[in-house]
Amino acid sequence: MNYVPGTASLIDDIDKKHLVLLRDGRTLIGYLRSIDQFANLVFHQTVERIHVGKKFGDIPRGIFIVRGENVVLLGEMDVDKPCDTILQQVSIEEILEEQRLQQQAKQETEKVKMQVLKDRGLSIPKADNLDEY
Amino acid sequence: MFRYSSLDDDCTLEEEDDGLIEEEDEIDQFNDDTFGAGAIGGSSMKSVQCCFLQENSHFFELLRNFLEVELFELEVNKYLILNLRRQPYLGDIIYVDERSGGSDLAESLARFILDADPAIAGVGAAERPAPSPGSAGSVLSALRGLDQSREGSLMSIIKEAGLPKRPPQGRADEGHDLSERAPPPRSSSPVIGSPPVRAVPIGTPPKHPMSLNHQIHHPTAVHVRAPIQHRYPAPFPERLSPNTLLNIANSPLCRGPFPPRVGPVLSQLQRAQLLNSQHIFMSASLQVAGFPRGGPGPPLLAGGGFRPFFGGPPPPHGHRMGPPPPHGPHNHTPPIRHNTTHLHPQHRRLLTQRMQSRGGTGLDRRSRDPYSNLMSQKEKEWVTKIQMMQLQSTDPYLDDYYYQNYYEKMEKRQERERDSSSKKEHATKLITPQVAKVEHTYRPVQFAGSLGKLTVSSVNNPRKMIDAVVTTRSDDEKREKQVWNKRRQILYTVEKMYSLLLEVQDFEKRFVQTPEEEREALLEQHKTNTEQLCSSLQEKEWEDRVSDEQCVMIMSVRKGKRLIARLLPFLPASQGAAVVMVIARNLPALAKKDKQDQVLCCLVEPVSAVIQSLSSSALTDLLQELQGGDGQLAGVLQNKVNHQQTVAGWLISQPGRTCVRSPAKEESTELVFSVTRELLGVPSSSLSPPLFTPPNLLSLFSRYVDRQRLELLQDKLQ
Repeated sequence: MNYVPGTASLIDDIDKKHLVLLRDGRTLIGYLRSIDQFANLVFHQTVERIHVGKKFGDIPRGIFIVRGENVVLLGEMDVDKPCDTILQQVSIEEILEEQRLQQQAKQETEKVKMQVLKDRGLSIPKADNLDEY
Repeated sequence: MFRYSSLDDDCTLEEEDDGLIEEEDEIDQFNDDTFGAGAIGGSSMKSVQCCFLQENSHFFELLRNFLEVELFELEVNKYLILNLRRQPYLGDIIYVDERSGGSDLAESLARFILDADPAIAGVGAAERPAPSPGSAGSVLSALRGLDQSREGSLMSIIKEAGLPKRPPQGRADEGHDLSERAPPPRSSSPVIGSPPVRAVPIGTPPKHPMSLNHQIHHPTAVHVRAPIQHRYPAPFPERLSPNTLLNIANSPLCRGPFPPRVGPVLSQLQRAQLLNSQHIFMSASLQVAGFPRGGPGPPLLAGGGFRPFFGGPPPPHGHRMGPPPPHGPHNHTPPIRHNTTHLHPQHRRLLTQRMQSRGGTGLDRRSRDPYSNLMSQKEKEWVTKIQMMQLQSTDPYLDDYYYQNYYEKMEKRQERERDSSSKKEHATKLITPQVAKVEHTYRPVQFAGSLGKLTVSSVNNPRKMIDAVVTTRSDDEKREKQVWNKRRQILYTVEKMYSLLLEVQDFEKRFVQTPEEEREALLEQHKTNTEQLCSSLQEKEWEDRVSDEQCVMIMSVRKGKRLIARLLPFLPASQGAAVVMVIARNLPALAKKDKQDQVLCCLVEPVSAVIQSLSSSALTDLLQELQGGDGQLAGVLQNKVNHQQTVAGWLISQPGRTCVRSPAKEESTELVFSVTRELLGVPSSSLSPPLFTPPNLLSLFSRYVDRQRLELLQDKLQ
């Protein structure tokens, strides 16, 4: 509400720590430094946070420029709030390993499902090719 | 991007021409000479020929690096004199020749950069490559101009060079500019050619954010020009980023002291950061070369890049390159007056309350963050301006329907509450600024006496690719298409009627909104709308009667049924009645068609409303219509489809009403008898429960039928 009262704008969020969820599922945390009219975001000291189950790991990424159309949601993070979640931070290697296992498990179930459907003569198109159409 | 080749001092333009057709391997060698091992060791760099194409941003980065690293070596050993020449048609070429005879390094650097940077080279220098004699002349004049400013201070040079956006002066001497040839006389279309090319890519925030509104709302006519490659100035940030500063500090600049006269410029460098001034920036970038160690040696962090510091306090980056920013922590304390005139007063009040409650939290953190305010005030305003422009609307009632309606309702409520007590004037009226609707009719450009169409297309006048001509179809095709055409015709009619209907429905709301003067016009429009609606239902030949066929056709479409349902309340009584008659007459057919759509029930309410206002004779007519065919009524009653419940209920209610109203009529008795007969005839299981039963229906029936039948009827009706 800084410059344009009565509207929503990202201007007030500049230089604050944010969490952004992208369309490909990544979660980035960083200081929002700059925006533009398309909501392209410039993040500083960005960290990619991977969540697997109750564990999470942070991968430092540096400066990120996110194209506005790829943002699902964006929210300010309160640095003062005490962190009392049940999430447990682990090292990068561990979280990547966990993620790989998770992906593997998902693929297995997916394969089984497809096989079952095939046996019955049905087919469901894969969602990833469809995008939003 | 860069091609270097060593040249002798007295190379001529022609030789350079040939020399520029270089092979790739030469490039690497010279690259190496300049940036690689060859360069750093000794300053054997006699001359550098930079041929850079349109990528000035890269050029500038490289140039800066180049200057930082190289020229200090040179400075130690020899003085560089930069001789600049411009060569058109091959991009921009700058020669840096070594010449003895000592000149001020700073000044020559200034000249180098100033002339190289197209943004600043506004002093007589062409912004577009002109034919060579012209350009040479202009460059020389530029040099001459610069020569005259021998004050030894860089600021003066920059002032001389002028602002980046200054329109090119000294065009008078360039009579040969071929690009300014006027096009042949036009016969139509005021807007032609590309929109005015600013020397900046479209996405960049402007340095002078004044002309945005103007440019967008008043497109001016522009001459058609041959497409010219404009060089874009480097889209620089208006301050040196902390990283750059770190690089500067750690670079080999820290070697030798500079001539003392460059001393006071350091403060300008800092001021450049702080005040984001573009003029001073140029001097700052030049002073990158001349960075003295006069200032306090800042113990900057070596890992200058990024380091995630979440959860902890900001790193001990307290030292800055000089005096702390003058306007540090006080950004938020002065209350900012926003433009809230377009908001409703209540809304405004809410907002101010909210803002006050939020207060000034988070100020201190921002002042400590060294990377804060990377986005300058101007840039923020620029983004805000764009966003506000997108909000301008030509019809706020249409674009911002919910906001307008909400506050309207609130106003009404407040008025009601405050009715008797005080004579409060309409302080809480919402006034929304409206942008005038500008009709841009585009007519394709045609030049007088030209063959064919123009090929130059732009945003304002897109090229006409296809000439769409209406052709009549052949006969055999006709028959096939006739069916389709009919349906399309119906759909088209329905759409047209719908838009009319929507306008009619919104009339009341609009009426309240418009000022006094325009109300007349609105009324007129409303009248015509309703008339049009009525006429669309009527027969072609007889102006007064409602067309059966037309109605049925409309009702055959799902949307048409909804349309009629919404339209009925707005029709005059006679027409409404006529429409209901039509429906009644064609009910079975309609019911059949409605099997898939199941929208017939939406008609119940308006139809019943109409029926209530019908006269008794009309009612009897209606009932007769209903009973038209043999067993028509029974068929309708029997229909088990879901929606038929409502229809059946409707049917039953009708005779009830009729009888209630005019019990003495004879025809009604007949009808009642027939109705009861039908009702009895239909097995009760198939009779779908009616929507509503008039309360005294049974009592009515009891008057006419005997006990047995009455009981049966009773069962059936429940």
